[in-house]
Amino acid sequence: MTEREPQDYFQWTAALFDRARIFDKPEALRGIRVLELTTLVLGPTTADFLGELGAEVVKVELPPGGDTMRYVTPEAMYWQNASIGFFPENHSKYHIGIDLHAEEGKSLFRQLAARSDIMVENFRAGTLDRWGVGYRQLREINPRLIYVADSGFGQWGPFSQGRASYDAVAQTVSGMIGITGFPGRPPILCGMFIGDWFGGLMAATAALVALHHRDRTGEGQLIDFAQSEGLIRTLDWTWVRHGLTGQDRGPVGNRDEALVPADIFSTRDGYVAVAAARDAEFTGLCEAMGEPGLATDPRYATLPERQKPEHMTALLDRIRLWAGKLARAEVEAAGARHGFAAVRVATARDKFEDDHLRARGSVWEYEDPLYGKMVEQGPAAKLSETPARIKWAAKPVGWHNQDVLNRLLGLSPSAIAALQERKVIGQWADRNGARPPAEWTGGSRI
Amino acid sequence: MTDTAHGTSWPQFARDLTDPGRAHEKPEALDDLRVLDCSSGNFAALFASSILAEFGAEVIRVEPPAGDVARLFSPGGVKHRGTGLAYLVEARNKRHITLDLRSEQGRLLLARLARHVDIVIESELPGQMDAWGIGYRQLSVLNPRLIYLAVSTHGQFGPRAARAMPDYDITAQAMSGVPYVTGEAEGSGPAESSVPTRQGNWAAWYVGGAFGVLAALAALHWRVASGRGQLIDLTPGEAEMRLSDVGVLWYHAYQRIHERVGDLHIQVFPYTLVKTRDSYAFVAGFSDINFAGLTNIMERPDLKERFATTRDRILKARELHQELERWSADLTAEEILTRFQDYMTHKRGPGTVATARLNRPQDVLGEAHWWERGVLRKVDDPDYGELLLQAPPWKLSRTPPRIKWACRPVGADNELIYLKYLGLGKGDLQALRAAGAI
Repeated sequence: MTEREPQDYFQWTAALFDRARIFDKPEALRGIRVLELTTLVLGPTTADFLGELGAEVVKVELPPGGDTMRYVTPEAMYWQNASIGFFPENHSKYHIGIDLHAEEGKSLFRQLAARSDIMVENFRAGTLDRWGVGYRQLREINPRLIYVADSGFGQWGPFSQGRASYDAVAQTVSGMIGITGFPGRPPILCGMFIGDWFGGLMAATAALVALHHRDRTGEGQLIDFAQSEGLIRTLDWTWVRHGLTGQDRGPVGNRDEALVPADIFSTRDGYVAVAAARDAEFTGLCEAMGEPGLATDPRYATLPERQKPEHMTALLDRIRLWAGKLARAEVEAAGARHGFAAVRVATARDKFEDDHLRARGSVWEYEDPLYGKMVEQGPAAKLSETPARIKWAAKPVGWHNQDVLNRLLGLSPSAIAALQERKVIGQWADRNGARPPAEWTGGSRI
Repeated sequence: MTDTAHGTSWPQFARDLTDPGRAHEKPEALDDLRVLDCSSGNFAALFASSILAEFGAEVIRVEPPAGDVARLFSPGGVKHRGTGLAYLVEARNKRHITLDLRSEQGRLLLARLARHVDIVIESELPGQMDAWGIGYRQLSVLNPRLIYLAVSTHGQFGPRAARAMPDYDITAQAMSGVPYVTGEAEGSGPAESSVPTRQGNWAAWYVGGAFGVLAALAALHWRVASGRGQLIDLTPGEAEMRLSDVGVLWYHAYQRIHERVGDLHIQVFPYTLVKTRDSYAFVAGFSDINFAGLTNIMERPDLKERFATTRDRILKARELHQELERWSADLTAEEILTRFQDYMTHKRGPGTVATARLNRPQDVLGEAHWWERGVLRKVDDPDYGELLLQAPPWKLSRTPPRIKWACRPVGADNELIYLKYLGLGKGDLQALRAAGAI
C-alpha cells in the first residue's frame, strides 16, 4: 500500500459514526414488531439482533419462572438478583408473562401474533403446533407473519423428534469440536455458546431475507433453522476436501493449515495471534523479526511453499521464539508498522478497558433504570445512517404486562388485573434469577 | 403429534412446506438485488456474498487479473483445477469478472459498475478505497442508494482504525476473546496445549460474514422507505465478540475474568464431554429437574444429594465430571444416546436430558439426517466437476435458498457482465486486457 495516509478519511468516519450521535439517527427496523416465545440462548439472540436494529421485541415467558436462562449464571452468582447469563441476549425487550397452557393465554398470544411481523420460537419441533399457537394456526390469523422456528435438529428429519438439543450438542454433532483443539488431547467445548449465538445470528438474517420478500409481495412464511446445521455451514473447506480426497479432518492446534503463517503465540505477558499469508505481509513479518533473509528463503518465499507442512512447522517455531521474547503490545505494534496482522488474545478485562472498543460502541456502557450502570458487549456492525443500539437491560418476568397488554391489545387496568387474578398472565417468582433487585421498591416499570 | 384439524403431523407438514429438494420450483427472495464483491482474501466478505447469492442476488465477484489470493488459501496448498479448496466453497452462484483496482482504468470500471448495484462489499485497509477514489464517499455520490459493506480488522473509525493491518480469521478470533475462554486450563496439561484455543474452522470470518449480511439487509429494509443507502463498518473480531456470552458484564459486575476451565462449564453443569468406551460424548442435565433425569439414567440417585444445587454442581464440577466418566467409560456413545432417547421418548422420569456422540466430520457424513435435510449436497459443477458442499442451512417455505453452481474460473463472466452493464464488446475488452485493467 503505497498511497497517501488518508487522515482526512478518518476525520470523516469519526464524525459519521460518532457514538454520541447514535440516538439522533433513525432505526433500520422501526415499525417491525418481533414476538418472541423462547428460552435459553438460540431463540433470544435471534430476537435480540433484530431488536438492536430497531425492531420492537415482545418477549413472552411462562410465569412465574420464565426463561431457563434466568438461572444460568457464572458460578451460580446472582447479580442484583439476576442471572448475568440472561442479559447479553435480552436487550431493550418488553417482558410479559402469559400462561400458554391456559386457553385464555393462548388467545392473548394469538392476538399479539396478529399484531406482529416476526415470530421467533425455539421449542422442540411441533410443541407450539400442539399447543395451538404454531405456524399452522398463526398464519391463518396473520398471513404476513414471518415465523422463525429455531431448533437443534430442525422441524423434520430423523433427529428432529425425541431428541433434545443444546448449543454444545450442535458443537458436538456438527464436527466443529472434532476439528478444534490439539491432537492427542481431550476434545474441547467452545468457551461460549457458539452454536446458539451463531444460530441466532443466522436465523435473524433469514428473517430479514423473508422481510425483503414481504416488502415485495406482502407474504409471510415459515423458516426452519437448526443450530447444528448452522455450524456445519461454517466448517469452511472440511467437506469439499473430504469429497475430493476422502481425507477426514482432525484437530491441529491453533495453527491455520490453509494460511501460513497464522497461529497463536505466547509472549512475555499473554498471548497474541499473528497472521501474514500474503507474501508482502510475510516479508514485513520477517523484517520485524530481524530475519529479512527468511522472506527470500525458497522454503518460505511463496505461500504454496509455506503451506507445505514441514515448512509451516519450522516457520511457526521461529516465530514462536521471536514472539516469546516480546510483550504482546510490542508484537501488535510490529504488525501495524510492518503490515501484518497481530492481535492479542483478549481477556474480559482487555475488552472492558479498551478505549477503541468503547469509542466504537463494541463495549457499550449505559445506565439502566433498574440495574444502574451496565457495561456489555455492544452491537457488532456499525451502520452510518441507522446505527444499532442498546436502550435498556433485560427485566424480570412480566415486567411490562401492563404496558404491552394495554398499548397493543387495548386492555384496561381492571381487565389486566382480572387476567392476573385468574393466573392467565403473571409476573416473577420470588426467587433469584426471576425477581427484581432487593433495592427495588415498586414504581417505574421501564 | 397429529393435529386432528389438519390431519397431517407437524413434521410432515413442515417437510412438505420446506423440502429443499423442491427449492428450484419456488421464487427467490433477493433476485431483485445486485451485489459487487471486490473483497480480497477475506472469507468474511466471501461468506457474506455467498448468503446473498444463495437467496437469489446477482453477485459479481471482482478479482484482480491473476485471481484473488483467496484462491490460494487451502490446506497444504492443495488445488482442484487451479483453485484452492476454501474458495470452491464460497464462490457459489457468483459471476466472476476481473478488474485491477490498482490501475486507474480498473477503478473507473468499478465506479461505473457501482452505479448499477445495490450492495458493494470490500475488505481493503480502511481508507484505501477512499484514497483510490472509489470508497463510499465517492460511490455514494454516483449511487445514493448504495449500501456499502466494508470489512476490516479494526474498523473504519476509532483510535486503532488507521493501523494498517490485514484482516484474518485467527486475529479476529483473538480479538473476540473467545479463544481466551476456550481450552485446557493454564497449567492443567502439557504447556503447548494448555493455551487459549481457537475454533478449528474460520469461526470469526463466518460470524463476521453473517453479521455483515444482517446489517446489509436491515439497511435494505430502511432504504425502501428512505431511498438512501449507507456505509456499514464491520470487523469480524467485534462480530464474534458480540457472541462472547457473559464476558464483559461479569467483569463489570464482579471484576472477574472468565478463565479457561476445559470442559467444566462455569454457568451450567453437567454440560460437558465425557470419555466413552469408543470415543467421547456430550451429556447435559444441569437444572435440578434435568439433573434428576440424568442421575436416573445413570442409576445413581446418591449423586442428586451430593450435588443438590446448581451451585454445587458448578463449584464441584471436577468431582462430578469424574463420576460421570466412571459411568460413561463402560458405554459406547451410541449406547448412551439409546438410553437417553428411551428415557425421553417413554417419559421414564422427570427432566430433559441431552447427549450426542462426538462427531469427526467423517461421522457427520455417515448420518442420514443431514443428507435428508439437504444440509450436505453433491453439486455437479460445469467447470469444477462434482463437489461435496455444505448447502445453505435455512429452510424457507416460500423463498428457499439454493446452490446453482459452485465456482467459476477467473474472469469467466467478463464478457457477459461488461456487456450487460457497461455495453462493452469484445474489442473494448481486448483493449482493457492489453492495458492490464482486466
